[in-house]
Amino acid sequence: MFARRRFAVLKNLLEYAGLEPGRLHFSWISSAEAQKFQQTVTEVTEAVKALGPATRMIKDIRKVA
Amino acid sequence: MDNAAIAKGIREAAKKLLGEGKVDVVIGYAKGTVPMRDYPYFAYTPEEAENLTWSGFCCNNLALYAIRRPGRMAVVAQGCVSRNLVGLVNENQVKRENLYVIGVNSPGMVDRRKVQALFPGQTITEVEEVGDELIVKGVGFAEKVARKKVMRQNCYTCVQRNPVISDELIGGEGPASHGGNLDKVAAPWEKLGSSERWAEFQESFKDCIRCYACRDACPLCYCHVCFVDESQPQWCGKTQDEADVATFHLLRAFHCAGRCTDCGACESACPAGIKMRRLTMKIEKDIRDLYGYQPGMAIGAQPPMTLFKPNDPQDFIK
Amino acid sequence: MSSKILSKDKLDAFLQGLKGARDVFAPAMVEGKVGWAAVEQASDMLTEFSNTEMSPKDFFFPQTECMMRFKNASGDPEGMIMMAEPALARPRALMNIRPCDAKAFQVLDLIFVQDEMTNDLYWRDKRERTACIGLACNDPCPTCFCTSVNCGPHHEAGLDLLLVDLGDKYLVKVLNDKGAELAKDLPAAAAGDEAKAAELKIAAEAKITGGVSMDQVKSREVMELYEAGHWDRVQESCLNCGTCTFCCPTCHCFDIQDEVQGESGRRVRNWDTCMSWLFTMHGTGHNPRGTKKDRVRQRFMHKFKYIPVKRGGEIGCVGCGRCVQLCPVNIDVRRVVNDMNA
Ligand code: SF4
Ligand code: SF4
Ligand code: SF4
Ligand code: SF4
Repeated sequence: MFARRRFAVLKNLLEYAGLEPGRLHFSWISSAEAQKFQQTVTEVTEAVKALGPATRMIKDIRKVA
Repeated sequence: MDNAAIAKGIREAAKKLLGEGKVDVVIGYAKGTVPMRDYPYFAYTPEEAENLTWSGFCCNNLALYAIRRPGRMAVVAQGCVSRNLVGLVNENQVKRENLYVIGVNSPGMVDRRKVQALFPGQTITEVEEVGDELIVKGVGFAEKVARKKVMRQNCYTCVQRNPVISDELIGGEGPASHGGNLDKVAAPWEKLGSSERWAEFQESFKDCIRCYACRDACPLCYCHVCFVDESQPQWCGKTQDEADVATFHLLRAFHCAGRCTDCGACESACPAGIKMRRLTMKIEKDIRDLYGYQPGMAIGAQPPMTLFKPNDPQDFIK
Repeated sequence: MSSKILSKDKLDAFLQGLKGARDVFAPAMVEGKVGWAAVEQASDMLTEFSNTEMSPKDFFFPQTECMMRFKNASGDPEGMIMMAEPALARPRALMNIRPCDAKAFQVLDLIFVQDEMTNDLYWRDKRERTACIGLACNDPCPTCFCTSVNCGPHHEAGLDLLLVDLGDKYLVKVLNDKGAELAKDLPAAAAGDEAKAAELKIAAEAKITGGVSMDQVKSREVMELYEAGHWDRVQESCLNCGTCTFCCPTCHCFDIQDEVQGESGRRVRNWDTCMSWLFTMHGTGHNPRGTKKDRVRQRFMHKFKYIPVKRGGEIGCVGCGRCVQLCPVNIDVRRVVNDMNA
């Protein structure tokens, strides 16, 4: 419940700074809801896969600096 | 009352407090060695209290120095500083009974970068305050500038220029605001698309040299070990890579959520002219909108990030 | 060595000549700030400026520098072997360096390149492949105090050429063989031009009034300075931020880390600062500079006592005044040194 407030603010901040939308997901899942957990993880994975590799907030130490 | 008269009042109050042994130290401002940079000064004796001043160049937040400081102290506090003192009392970092607040109405502090920008490439040797104007002097020039034109943005939109707590108020109350509308300027990127926001964000922080003066000047950043200094594990890379710089700024701003009084000390401290309030202002706007809270307004108020209500907004949770 | 003349209308031709073999950088207006930038033509360069906000030390000592790379795979025969990073691709020239900043290069040469064992190739290679062309100050700032710290507005140390603005032309002082090569096509200066430059030097030095005294600092024992009472006052307001060390042309501390990402690894060094508690924190949890006072004292003692003791009287400050202008709480190095000297 405390986390709900913190996540609300954090999510707004990250979107405000232009982190790609659709990469941050929140869900209420209780420890008894195995199926919801499985379903949510699948959905999130698919959504992120569809977006492709992230382009922002990426540190690539291989690139020549 | 003008600043010179207030300065005199502060000196009198400090001399009395120190002379009577009511406090061990008076933390105020003294005149700087360079124009527009009056600095935090610690007076331990009535003689030292003579060095205290008050001006439109008091850009540091003195609440910082009260944190976990032993003994009895008096702190010179304008609106924002008093709000941070309240926040620190509420967060158990300062004991109210050890604190004597010498309150002052703030004239709105001057943004030295704005003044310098009016005289590009020229060396400013002295800046004098005369009422609502500044007289800016340099080699071969002396010009008047309206204070309003060069005021720090946070001072322009401040709604609490009078101290919220004070044990003594020097010069009486003054206007509460300067007429700026904080909600209008707090989140300018909201109207932009995501990639434009990212571009603005990168642009805003690209000159950061990671000196952490913004954090170190901030009365909220009193952690014994800041997350950027953690080494086991190291949360944040040490390089100038944009992801490392962005991580520092996003997380620092987030740690200030529901606590930031928009005092502007971070921006005034920054050697690179970074506007990190672009992040903290947005957060505080959200906190006002979502939870109806403004930091540092009342002793005993509970910080919003340590609370919840059953009906807090949650449409972002699937 | 000799002096040459560079007429201002030939400045661009001179610059283009440099650009034939080098990337050229100079102080320029960068988004409202005086900073260092790559320049294409003479009009890109600022000529009327006090100094850049940040020092040019990062041309030789970048804030973040990859030192070497490795394959992050310990089982692999190719793994964990350090591979050198390519050196600077093209030689460089820095134009219009202020004499204090050039003096700082020379001070840092003494620290980065001492002997066979202490021989920082990252610093040294870039120094060797960079031509340094200075611009003498005729109008020092009120915060400059170079004349009291082994430097001055027309100082020549650390430079290959020094330009002195004579109005419609520059006197070009040739300071070494590298400089002679750069200036070989310029006409020789007349005796009158040299005399004019000498007058400007005296006039510029006279404009610096806010100096510091160092005589007592020189003669006093280290421990006497270390234990002096004034440090308690200096440290009160200090934020222990990195502003003064990062803007300073002679501060040179760094931190080395290995970064890995999958199979890639690199060793990278970043600027660090003696003001940070983490800088001296030991793995045991012991911190030899455990208090704010220890840290702020270190910066001044290092510059004004330890470096002079160890480097034949050289001072770790060149009087550029940057920290005076940028310290968020106005800890003025001139005041601190005068207190050390009091
Ligand atoms: S004070 Fe400025 S330069 Fe220093 S870390 Fe903060 S934003 Fe970066
Ligand atoms: S940024 Fe966060 S962790 Fe660091 S000092 Fe501030 S509040 Fe503490
Ligand atoms: S002297 Fe000033 S710039 Fe240096 S660490 Fe202290 S507060 Fe920061
Ligand atoms: S200590 Fe200050 S004045 Fe001296 S060289 Fe460094 S930045 Fe310049």
